[in-house]
Amino acid sequence: MDVVYFIELAVNGALVGLMYALVALGIVLVFKSSGVANLAQGALAMVGAYVVWWLGSATGAPLWAVIPLGVIAMFFFGRGLERVALRRMVGQPVIMIIMLTLGLEILLRGLAPALWGTLLKRMDIGISQQPLFLGDILVNRAYLVGGAVALVLIALSLLFFNSRQGVVLRAVSDDQIAAWAVGIRVERAISLSWGFAGIAATAAGVLWGSVQGIDWTLSLLLIKALAVAILGGLDSIAGVLVAGIAVGVLESVIPGYVDPLVGGGTRDVVASAVILLTILVRPFGLFGREQIERI
Amino acid sequence: MLSLNNVEVVYDRVFLAIKGVSLEVPEGGMVALLGANGAGKSTTLKTISGLLKPERGEVTRGEVWFKGQNIAGLPAPERVRLGIAHVLEGRRVFEHLTPDENLVAATSMHRDRRRIGALKEMVYDYFPRLKERRSVKAGYLSGGEQQMLAIGRALMTEPKLLMLDEPSLGLAPYLVEEIFGIIQRLHRDGVGILLVEQNAAAALDVVTDAYLIENGRVVMSGKAEALKQNPDIQEFYLGGSGKKDYHAVKHYRRRKRWLA
Repeated sequence: MDVVYFIELAVNGALVGLMYALVALGIVLVFKSSGVANLAQGALAMVGAYVVWWLGSATGAPLWAVIPLGVIAMFFFGRGLERVALRRMVGQPVIMIIMLTLGLEILLRGLAPALWGTLLKRMDIGISQQPLFLGDILVNRAYLVGGAVALVLIALSLLFFNSRQGVVLRAVSDDQIAAWAVGIRVERAISLSWGFAGIAATAAGVLWGSVQGIDWTLSLLLIKALAVAILGGLDSIAGVLVAGIAVGVLESVIPGYVDPLVGGGTRDVVASAVILLTILVRPFGLFGREQIERI
Repeated sequence: MLSLNNVEVVYDRVFLAIKGVSLEVPEGGMVALLGANGAGKSTTLKTISGLLKPERGEVTRGEVWFKGQNIAGLPAPERVRLGIAHVLEGRRVFEHLTPDENLVAATSMHRDRRRIGALKEMVYDYFPRLKERRSVKAGYLSGGEQQMLAIGRALMTEPKLLMLDEPSLGLAPYLVEEIFGIIQRLHRDGVGILLVEQNAAAALDVVTDAYLIENGRVVMSGKAEALKQNPDIQEFYLGGSGKKDYHAVKHYRRRKRWLA
């Protein structure tokens, strides 16, 4: 067994995993503050990438310069989704809300290519294509940048949830009626979390877009993100980090060894297997909060 | 300070939960709302705090005045900012947050950090036991501690009117005494109290005025002392008056007469 090959797979896998974690972060942020499973996150990432690309091509400015604009736009897009669609659903059964987010995902998947065209768009955000060698290990620069951005955003989210506003959001996810009763503007809090989901989605969409180009398939990141979010425990940000790396490494190492034997295609199986196994073995994930039962 | 004027509440557009309730809590007063299960006590409190909407309830008639303002149309968080705090039935603390964070979560209306610190100290002064357990998840606190936390959390909003829904529910007698002691202390410190209780005996001992509500209507009201002497209240809410000679009991038991 070639150790360098293994490490190379693992390192690149971990970096990719961090980028998955970035998409999953949006799911966790929303779940942590409103208890809603956000299945529109894949499409949000895709829309984020489209918006940044569109801003770039419309203004002619370099892409890295319009990314902040795109992030701001997507912050408000996320809040808008909440305002238009989800706020009407307060008090409805959870399954209805999940179906609604899934519907949004499908709608956006269709709508974005319809608006901006179905051709694959190249997105060059200025990351050099030169190979980068760390010792003997070949590392993809785009992944390295992506992993770093993901780490920063995850760290910021961790900090945020320990701040006063973050405590308020956690309170909302615990008990919305009690939150109302102590003066928390619940709607505003939930809307804020969707705004953050929009930001995380844009970052992820742009990074992935720079790797694989932009078309509707970007929204398939949803599956990977779900695997990460479920494995990490739907409401744990630290869980997103660990699970992201775990899923990324598994997804890179397993195909690295198994693909030559079976003829390829195991990569996509890994994420699904992770979802299934987690739900069967440990439904609340690695770091998810347990149901508190006092005896 | 607070007055309800002939308020009618309908759930789901069909179920009439309270039918023309009028009541008044004077500035700094201490008032109890008594009644059996399902009489409409909690609905009355939710009408005041604005929490009917999540349960698909609606005020269809009447007015709710607080400090000279009709608040019937205000959303719940705005009413909290006016000074109405509602301690919900069943405590409803934020279980996955620590007591400290529970208190912080209730401060979204305050800008000043020092003010928040001072309020927290005040709450811990009322409830020293919470301070000892300030970093345990609130879900693991005992029932009494959770009730204290729920009250403390409401105090963080600096209420002028504190509404408590069954604070004695499921607590040991000595804890009930402790909680009622604290409610009396809050009242002495100038907070208006509206207390909902099934435990009429305990409630009538601490309040100055009381309303008796039944089937969504206020059927009796007055000074606590006077109500305690009322034979109907004694019979139906205070567990009878002394011993009864069961040989002398007539077949037709005395009925509640106030609805006649």
